[in-house]
Amino acid sequence: MSGGSARSLGKGSAPPGPVPEGLIRVYSMRFCPYAQRTRLVLTAKGIRHEVININLKNKPEWFFKKNPSGLVPVLETSLGQLICESAITCEYLDEAYPGKKLWPSDPYEKACQKMVFESFSKVPPLISRILRTQNKEDCSGLKEELQKEITKLEEVLTDKKTAFFGGSSLSMIDYLIWPWFERLEALELNECVDQAPTLKLWMAAMKKDPTVSSLLTDVKTFQGFLSLYLQDSPEACDYGL
Amino acid sequence: MTDDATRTLGKGSIPPGPVPEGVIRLYSMRFCPYAHRTRLVLRAKGIRHEVININLRNKPEWYFTKHPFGQIPVLENSKCQLIYESVIACEYLDDAYPGRKLYPYDPYERARQKMLLELFYKVPHLTKECLVALRCGRDCADLKLALRQEFCNLEEILGYQNTVFFGGDCISMIDYLFWPWFERLDVYGIADCVNHTPTLRLWIAAMKQDPTVCSLLTDKNTFLGFLNLYFQNNPAAFDYGLSC
Repeated sequence: MSGGSARSLGKGSAPPGPVPEGLIRVYSMRFCPYAQRTRLVLTAKGIRHEVININLKNKPEWFFKKNPSGLVPVLETSLGQLICESAITCEYLDEAYPGKKLWPSDPYEKACQKMVFESFSKVPPLISRILRTQNKEDCSGLKEELQKEITKLEEVLTDKKTAFFGGSSLSMIDYLIWPWFERLEALELNECVDQAPTLKLWMAAMKKDPTVSSLLTDVKTFQGFLSLYLQDSPEACDYGL
Repeated sequence: MTDDATRTLGKGSIPPGPVPEGVIRLYSMRFCPYAHRTRLVLRAKGIRHEVININLRNKPEWYFTKHPFGQIPVLENSKCQLIYESVIACEYLDDAYPGRKLYPYDPYERARQKMLLELFYKVPHLTKECLVALRCGRDCADLKLALRQEFCNLEEILGYQNTVFFGGDCISMIDYLFWPWFERLDVYGIADCVNHTPTLRLWIAAMKQDPTVCSLLTDKNTFLGFLNLYFQNNPAAFDYGLSC
């Protein structure tokens, strides 16, 4: 059960009740790449959860009690504990829940994945800036920077000689970086992986993963959302419902 | 006298050999706050280690094989594995070595410490900007105001928690991750930024009583000597205070 396709809650909505025992709740938004990280981990680990979508263009007042910064994702447990910041939520889920561990158990391998994650960290803000830039010149400068970051990741994966960033099977680092690669096509930034054959293979392999494919958003729906979102429309977050 | 009181290696120096088994090596610099985090964790956990100090204004060519941009701190173990980024290095040490765990066992408490670290992220940049401004004779009233605001946020957390340390009643990883910048407030000339945060001042006093923190405290005159030379762009800065 995910409820990831529920209408978002906005200003004036009633605050949700406490989280039932045996469940964890994620405050999310259907198109948010950061929240997608958390949903990927919840799904990959088979964790029973409920999703409450937040209208990020018309936030409910009560949501600031869950996260003073008003950002998604936020996890809430049945004990009322709140965990914010996507990477922290993912790590919490991996530690708190049994079953397949997504972080490697070897401390060095885990540190390596965190170093790759650090290396990746320039990509999300770059993509955000590209989206918001009207000026063609600035845009091509930003695209060049993005290209450089993608080349770095291509090199890392090529050096590792494995299908995934953590080895021969999917692990935490792959899920943490996936949401931005998923969006390249919808954002018309596919050219940035033209010179990255290893990454292209990785992207194809990722799309075959049951967890990844169960949470894929089609290009047209994402573009519909984005167009409304960039115009600050309160309808954006529920596009396609 | 700490175990890292050795002269820095610079351009033209011979690359060090492999790390002996049973020891972990830290590439460091005696006055760097990020490397300070790693030295605190090594000391707190009683991990056998050796320190190689790097001359950051005159980096050895071989050092770029340890870190792509020549930054510190970097850990190197006897399997030639390299770990960098101070927070990643500290977590690696806590995971890889037995004995006292600095991060809590409980996943929620661990997550809380990581969220606290996010709250701290502006402090290193702001303290450095204040230092540079003061050293260059520029006004830094705005910067100090911004820093005080950050300290107010931390003060609120301690007040709300009603604990001595950020992780609870005992010192833990988050306190060590914060500490290096607080140790430097006085020598940077911005100790007055904690004037309105009494609980934070109590935390500072409690930290100074911790044996690990104590053992790595740098004396004020040595630090000032380093800063004076550093701001004159003198590559000898990094070895200031070493007797040989």
